[in-house]
Amino acid sequence: MTKKRRARTKFQRRLAGLLALAIALLGIGTLYSFLVPEPQTAQAQEDPAVVRQGEALYNNTCITCHGANLEGVQGRGPSLVGIGEAAVFFQTSTGRMPAMMQGAQAQEKPPVLSPEEVDAVAAFVQSNGGGVQMPEESGKELLGDNPARGGQLFRLNCASCHNFTGRGGALSSGKRAPALDGASEDEMYAAMLSGPQSMPRFSERQLSPDEKKDIISYVKSVTDGNNNPGGDSLGGLGPQSEGLIGFIVGIAALLGITLWIGAKQ
Amino acid sequence: MSDDKTPDTPSEEELAGMSRAELTRLGMKLDGVELIEYPDPWPVKGTRAEKRAERAVAFWFVLSGVAGLASVVAFIWWPSKYVAPGDDGYFLYSLYTPVLGVTLGGAVLAIGIGVLMYTRRFIPHEIAVQDRHDGGSKDLDKKTIVAQFADFGHSTTIARRSMIKRSLGFGGGVLGLALTVVPLGALLRNPHAQSDNKNGLLHTGWQHTSDEKVYLRRDTGDPSEVVLVKPEDLDSGSMETVFPFRKSEEEDEEALSAALLRSDNPVMLIRLRPEDAVRVVKHAGQEDFNYADFYAYTKICSHLGCPTSLYEQRTNRILCPCHQSQFDALQYAKPVFGPATRKLAQLPITVDEETGYFIATGDFIEPVGPAYWERRS
Repeated sequence: MTKKRRARTKFQRRLAGLLALAIALLGIGTLYSFLVPEPQTAQAQEDPAVVRQGEALYNNTCITCHGANLEGVQGRGPSLVGIGEAAVFFQTSTGRMPAMMQGAQAQEKPPVLSPEEVDAVAAFVQSNGGGVQMPEESGKELLGDNPARGGQLFRLNCASCHNFTGRGGALSSGKRAPALDGASEDEMYAAMLSGPQSMPRFSERQLSPDEKKDIISYVKSVTDGNNNPGGDSLGGLGPQSEGLIGFIVGIAALLGITLWIGAKQ
Repeated sequence: MSDDKTPDTPSEEELAGMSRAELTRLGMKLDGVELIEYPDPWPVKGTRAEKRAERAVAFWFVLSGVAGLASVVAFIWWPSKYVAPGDDGYFLYSLYTPVLGVTLGGAVLAIGIGVLMYTRRFIPHEIAVQDRHDGGSKDLDKKTIVAQFADFGHSTTIARRSMIKRSLGFGGGVLGLALTVVPLGALLRNPHAQSDNKNGLLHTGWQHTSDEKVYLRRDTGDPSEVVLVKPEDLDSGSMETVFPFRKSEEEDEEALSAALLRSDNPVMLIRLRPEDAVRVVKHAGQEDFNYADFYAYTKICSHLGCPTSLYEQRTNRILCPCHQSQFDALQYAKPVFGPATRKLAQLPITVDEETGYFIATGDFIEPVGPAYWERRS
């Protein structure tokens, strides 16, 4: 072995070194391309036509308050650079945007933009500065399989504002946390990711996608008329309303029975 | 008491010859009660109405039994395992609690109705009269009873034995005092005897009791799962509730769970938005408590100790849901609205250079939560 190596010329050694370096670099590059996941990109983003359509929509519906270059307009609306498609999806698909007036917070209403238009505007905003993106799954795929854990996480992270069964609640200066009835899985996921209005953001590192799905699963199991086997949720506010109704109905029933006991035959 | 109208007590022979009804009336008469009306609800035996009444009562008892059986059957076989709304079998599952309630409650109700029906249909509704006494006791009774008491004091010689009376007074008095000391004494505690202890009012579970690092830990819903917090975990404009964690507690499930449950432990770790972070005003003495845009405030309201976890990321206000106090996260969490008068205590944090996780560099420098007598600020 040693004799053979000595026999090599300087040029050969250099060549071998270069070759080894090239192979190593190629190998690392290939490995990298395999290991690093594809960035989550909305399909719309890859289609320049959709982005152009989104730009046209933006120029018609959003430009007044958010500016020609998404930079925001003082006193009207914030900059949209870097907010991401999840924020656009949430704000427009719940009808909060385009806002009709200034106020404590944008009101939800029937959406002005169609789902296709929402996607187009989202793609346009996403192409200007990036930001948080929607997960690849949508709809029922966003329902986790552990609503019990979702409930615990909901009570820890969300219930302080949204109430423990998603009934919503008051915030400061006329703002409020909305009730979660009727919110779709996608909207909830987008809200957690993007933190619309007063809501804090919950990144995928803070609440993992699985945890977010469990939370959505829990919310779905207690809103929209679910979780009231008695037939009426009585406001879903806990023991106060339930106790009051129990007291009134119970006392009335006891009164009736007492009268029946004492009645003459 | 002396009776004016003692009913004629019957002789032995008379007693032997009396019927059950007569004996009943006699017994009541001896107590001064006269039965005016004592009707038999069913004077004619064996009528269809009587049989119907009997069957009605039996029906309720049987119904109670059937409902009770049904509740046992439902308890064992009704699908009680959680089914998410919209999945197969959700409707049956959602009826589990109502079915149990209706059957068991129905069993109790039916047995009650049965008993009441029996009382109403079969027990005679008698009318009885009892004379009441007029005026006070007679002179004779008053005099004799007073004499009896006086005789008691005299015959027991207690009236003239002052040594016994005094010693009894001493013993009884001390016993009474001892009985009050136990419940009252338990209420008297010096809350500051252990102030330097981590269970004292001055300290929380964040207190450094040794050289060990105190990490910021996230609650994932599973107390035995330890997830520490890194700066990159939080997006700007986000908030997370964190709890203290020490490496020595890693295998101690009880300690892990206790750290999450301890009432003065929860801390809000807030990451401000960069545009807000430049407007921060820090409190004197707390200049280095934050780590970049990360600020950690106690979750315990300085007013009455509610969890102030309503964080508005745009206005950077921290709201307390109990009495609407508001704190400004940009100004050392000072109160800006509502009944709270003191700022939220700030936890000094930094990032551990070895591990990259957040650690607390010390306990709060002031007590968290509501005021107490000796609190200086």
